[in-house]
Amino acid sequence: MLDTESIRKDFPFLRQGCIYLDSTATSLTPEPVLNKMLEYYREYRANIERGIYKAAQIATDAFEGARAEIARLINAKPEEIILVRNTSEGINLVASGQGLKKGDRVVTTILEHHSNFIVWLRARKRVGAEVKVVMSDGEGFLDLSDFERAINGRTRLVAVTHTSNVLGVRPPVKEIVKMAHDKGALVLVDGAQSVPHTKVDVKALGCDFLAFSGHKMCGPTGAGALYIREDLQEKIEPLCIGGGTIEDVGIDHYRLRQGPSRYEAGTPAIAEVIGMGAAASYLMEIGMPNIAAHDASLTKKVLEGLQEVPSLTLYGPKDPRKRAGIFSFNLGRFHPHDLAVALDAAAGVMVRSGHHCALPLHKHILKLDSGTVRASVYLYNTEQDVEVLLSALSEISKTML
Amino acid sequence: MAKSLYENYKNFPKTDCGYCGNTSCITMLRRFCSGELPLSECIYFRAGLYNVNEFSCSPPVPRGTQKPSISYIRPCPTDADRISVEVSLLPPEGSKYGYFDMITLDNIFNHAVPGLRISPSLGIARLESEWGDVMGFSEGRVLIRRASNESSAFWQLSRFVRSLWAAVS
Ligand SMILES: Cc1ncc(COP(=O)(O)O)c(C=O)c1O
Ligand code: SF4
Repeated sequence: MLDTESIRKDFPFLRQGCIYLDSTATSLTPEPVLNKMLEYYREYRANIERGIYKAAQIATDAFEGARAEIARLINAKPEEIILVRNTSEGINLVASGQGLKKGDRVVTTILEHHSNFIVWLRARKRVGAEVKVVMSDGEGFLDLSDFERAINGRTRLVAVTHTSNVLGVRPPVKEIVKMAHDKGALVLVDGAQSVPHTKVDVKALGCDFLAFSGHKMCGPTGAGALYIREDLQEKIEPLCIGGGTIEDVGIDHYRLRQGPSRYEAGTPAIAEVIGMGAAASYLMEIGMPNIAAHDASLTKKVLEGLQEVPSLTLYGPKDPRKRAGIFSFNLGRFHPHDLAVALDAAAGVMVRSGHHCALPLHKHILKLDSGTVRASVYLYNTEQDVEVLLSALSEISKTML
Repeated sequence: MAKSLYENYKNFPKTDCGYCGNTSCITMLRRFCSGELPLSECIYFRAGLYNVNEFSCSPPVPRGTQKPSISYIRPCPTDADRISVEVSLLPPEGSKYGYFDMITLDNIFNHAVPGLRISPSLGIARLESEWGDVMGFSEGRVLIRRASNESSAFWQLSRFVRSLWAAVS
């Protein structure tokens, strides 16, 4: 079990006494991560992979050390980790770098975040790729036989989320990977919501690409990672090229480097990457299985409690074993934004409201135009946070509907 | 930690029996919050049925720390054609309980105005209408959401404040 009390002391933001239940949007940042970033600015502020002097060496080592820690978090090799800004950039890199052509098929799902959805619609518009969207049932469950039908011989890529950021459902990615590989398609997994909360092992999962964001895993904003399986790197074109990506340049030719640096043009977000590395270490120190168990115990409590609030409609699976700690709901006719404002004003509870960058899901599966309110839990949340949320919701339900 | 008037009231006897010499429990609670009377004036507290230590009030917001202002005018996050406006109203001179007194408000209206809901325990009033929704908070913050434009938002604001005038403390 987690020692939540001592973990909470690491997060300065919590000292204000607020109840933060929006880690799905972005997580809080602990002192060890903040300090590691400040250390860079204060003690060895130099560019990486350029200078020969000592500070530049230290900076390069810290940057590459961060890459290694991020790799270790998902059981990849450091050479397989491309450092980008966030999940969205990672997905865009795959979308544009794969060289999709007219008639190529991309299979994705209705659960996706816009970042793993509109890129494929753009590929359709730009090159005439065919986009097949696998639908879910009302709770967000996907049927493997739909993938069986959707993935055909022309399918180049299956792009699927590891955890829905609205319903908390976890699609059967391992089975999807196997099915896709059998038919010669590659698989991109959107790990934005899974990597921060569970032990993700790319080797066990078998996926070809995995994108995730530092800011959702206790790291800073501005740093994210894309895993590209080593043997695929030759085939994926970089999104940007320039300084740092080349092996040789002449007056009328250039040759890109091997390895992740071919994708990392220009000076990267050095402090942020170092921070993301520190966040990976922080999470591994606590232990991903412990974090997952903590999430699961709060999930059970939230699920039980929400179902007792009068007039509350909860979306997604009701079985706590089948979902992550992400809960979308509505209360009577209350507009989601008004409910979020009321929770903030009455109880200092911070939750997200709206469509959570998943309009297709809201329109076609949930049939809700104005969206939902979403609460989510992470390692620093306590049972007491959950109780305050539940009692505030009950009070709103009792007095304001 | 000090609690709001509403949080205190939530757990109060609420019998309005008058034995303490006040016309209602809320009057008693207010006089306690402003330091005028101890809770032991109430017979229920004296009899030990309620625990004095569970009640505490935040000191009244001194006038002048808040400024009346428009906090923001922004597009609605999910509906770009609509706008949200938030304003802060200034509590009247000498007011100890913020701007809107939701308890009085609830006593006056108590579900009598269509679309108006008041939660004294949370300190929130919400008026739903086709022109946009308005939420008022006891400390004087008013939030107008989904208004079609600025003049409609301010018309909504004045309508809201006019309907709630009796509860301005
Ligand atoms: C499932 C999922 N994918 C992608 C993203 C996009 O992440 P970022 O904004 O860090 O690019 C998010 C963020 O909300 C997400 O929840
Ligand atoms: S004596 Fe107590 S219960 Fe009776 S009115 Fe006064 S405060 Fe309320």
